[in-house]
Amino acid sequence: MVRPTRFEVKQGGEGATPVLTVSGELDMHTTEVLSKQLEESLSGEIATLTLDLRELEFMDSTGLRLLIELNDRSRNEAWRLRLLRPANETASLILRVTGTDTALPFEDGAQQ
Amino acid sequence: MSQNLTELVLDRAHNAVVWLNEHGVVTYWNPSAVRLFGISKDEALGRPVAELIIPERFRAAHVAGLKRFLTDGTGPVLDRRIELAALRRDGSEFPVEMTISALPRDSGWLFSAFVQDLSDRVETARERDQLVQELRSALHGSQRRFEAIVGSLSDPVTIRDRDHRIVYANHAALVHLGFDSIDELRKTSPDKIMSDYRVLGEDGRVISMEDVPSVRILGGEPAEPLLIRTVNLKTGAERWNLLKAAPLFGSDDEVEATIMVIDDVTEQKRAERHATFLARASEVLASSLDYQRTLRNVAALAVPDLVDWCAVDLFDDEGDRIPVAVAHVDPARVALAQELRTYTPARTSPDRGLGTVLRTGEPVLYQDIPDEMLRQGAVDDRHLELLRSVGMRSVVMVPMKLADRTLGAMTLVSAESGRVIDQSDVNLVEQIAARAAVAIENSRLYSERSRIAHVLQKSLVPEQLPEIVGYELAGAYFPAVAGTEAGGDFYDVWEADGGWMIAIGDVTGKGVEAAALTAMVRHSLRATSEFVSSPAELLARLDGALKKRESLSVCTALCLRLEGGRITVAAGGHPLPLSITPDGVGVVGEHGPLLGGLDNVRWRETTVELGSDSTLILYTDGVTDAIGEDGARYGTQRLKETLSTLPDGSAADMVERLVDVLAEYQVGANADDVAVLALRRTASRQPSPASAAPRRDAVGTSARAGVDG
Repeated sequence: MVRPTRFEVKQGGEGATPVLTVSGELDMHTTEVLSKQLEESLSGEIATLTLDLRELEFMDSTGLRLLIELNDRSRNEAWRLRLLRPANETASLILRVTGTDTALPFEDGAQQ
Repeated sequence: MSQNLTELVLDRAHNAVVWLNEHGVVTYWNPSAVRLFGISKDEALGRPVAELIIPERFRAAHVAGLKRFLTDGTGPVLDRRIELAALRRDGSEFPVEMTISALPRDSGWLFSAFVQDLSDRVETARERDQLVQELRSALHGSQRRFEAIVGSLSDPVTIRDRDHRIVYANHAALVHLGFDSIDELRKTSPDKIMSDYRVLGEDGRVISMEDVPSVRILGGEPAEPLLIRTVNLKTGAERWNLLKAAPLFGSDDEVEATIMVIDDVTEQKRAERHATFLARASEVLASSLDYQRTLRNVAALAVPDLVDWCAVDLFDDEGDRIPVAVAHVDPARVALAQELRTYTPARTSPDRGLGTVLRTGEPVLYQDIPDEMLRQGAVDDRHLELLRSVGMRSVVMVPMKLADRTLGAMTLVSAESGRVIDQSDVNLVEQIAARAAVAIENSRLYSERSRIAHVLQKSLVPEQLPEIVGYELAGAYFPAVAGTEAGGDFYDVWEADGGWMIAIGDVTGKGVEAAALTAMVRHSLRATSEFVSSPAELLARLDGALKKRESLSVCTALCLRLEGGRITVAAGGHPLPLSITPDGVGVVGEHGPLLGGLDNVRWRETTVELGSDSTLILYTDGVTDAIGEDGARYGTQRLKETLSTLPDGSAADMVERLVDVLAEYQVGANADDVAVLALRRTASRQPSPASAAPRRDAVGTSARAGVDG
């Protein structure tokens, strides 16, 4: 009944500038996984956290909520959040529909 | 869930256990089956059993038997011991004994087979044939030689002459029948011996002397080995015996006598029956969340195979007992039990019966119930009469307990069967009672959650949509099936400031918190619309209200205002409405940011005119996020295509059709809430904007929905 979700997070970067690369689908279940990984990355002193969503294929409202929470947190804790836009049409549409593509700190262009 | 629980039990079974579906395909294969057949679980699962372990010459009969059962429900091989040949992985054949049961499942019948290797036993049977041969010659030889062979055998052996008298019994047979000497046995008539026992066949039928193989042979009839279950009425001991007999011919070639060997198979039969009962009870316990019904079914399973009576009681917080089930094969006896119960106070006493079970959390076993005990327990003559008429032999009360408390007890009574309940029965019932306790607890937790969820759910959508003049309105709402958790989708339709407001949205998160927030969003929109009529402004106000909350509260919402044929739309992070017009399917309005989570945001509204016979479809992302067979989500494109091919019909028809198409596309149950609302402008009656909704009955409907929601 439950299809295995395509999802993967890779931890990269170093020290104060961690990079998390997310591919596949961010839904109710996988968002939890990402959330735990983020906690790990944010446990030390942070200057900039990069969330690379270029390989993201889908995101539901729990995924969006996580991005918003992360954005709020970056401002409260005074570090910088960099978001890299998904290339996938479905994922971009979700960001566009919800206005998060402009309201959240997405970098323009697909360049890192 | 049920499968896992049952497998947990069966994985440990000593016997090989194989489950088949209706097509004869293996769905379960336990470790003992792996050992017995030399075929791994991976190799077996999903393959027709016929190809795996049934010798080629029996395959057609297997297929025909399966087909016959599915057609007319008859299964001559079911629920009894059958002996057949089976194949190992290496192609070698070996004899097995099996008992096959058919268990009804939601998805059809499940066939469960307990298989036991008979290689050893057949070996013994061969030896026994040889023995009979030797006996024949021994009988004609010297008495000493005969005694030397038979006397030392551990299996009971008897010889019956043409007049049906037992003329010989070895030592084991004398012990078995309870006699000290052969003379004593000879003096006792067979009927007298039989009268000390209650003898039943495997199917529960009463066995008489005429059925005994040695007697049949003397009557000139063929005699297959006979499996019997005996209960010694004096001691209450239960035994299972396999009776095998062979004729002994005299010098005139007439049957002179018969020799019978009594094979004691008590241990293996009881183990097999216990395993079957445990598997079936586990199955029943996991089958439903209605625990009262489940407990009644478990009680019914216990009779008459295990005991004669089975009752289940629960304890409430005060320790009072709440009767749940009483089972007996005879309905008249159940009525007796119900009358008996009127004599038992609900309040248990800590030092008696169920009260002791509740206090100690340990089983209480009365192996023998003397009349003295009944007289002490009876409150009056009628009570004593009822107690005596039950004819209790043994009683055991077993707690249904969790780690920290005892929820109830199962009471098993052995009566007319005459057999004594022993420790192995108690162990079995303890296992079942432990599972029953877990089932009860799960079911109680579930009912409480689903009750809360149900109450909250009612606050998410109006119970009844109002009537809007010039429009047809229809909605559908399906909460996520993943649990009983009330979800976050909502919609609402209400009258405000001379027009109508429609809102649909999705609060992020799941469960009770999301549902509570959803109710707040819905009512906040209603309240604000009293003095704000612009949809964009309404969303801005809601955004402000959400941002004032302590924890992050995010939602998407679509807000529409209807004034005659004019519709003004503002979207806050929500999929835009789709319009179905004679020109095709289009999108109405423009995207706006979601509510409660983003800074420096604003919303814009779009006003359109909806023509006659045009329809707006509002939906939540549960529709477009539905996952199909190939793993692809339904998506906006597919939704548009579906809408463009909808046959002309009422708003309700359209919603129904869309829901059907979606259900067909989707694999399994919906993981997210799904809400759909269709607003169709009807051809007739086009009131001017100023006179929208003049009908008082429409206002009444709306007001009622408002109060309830």
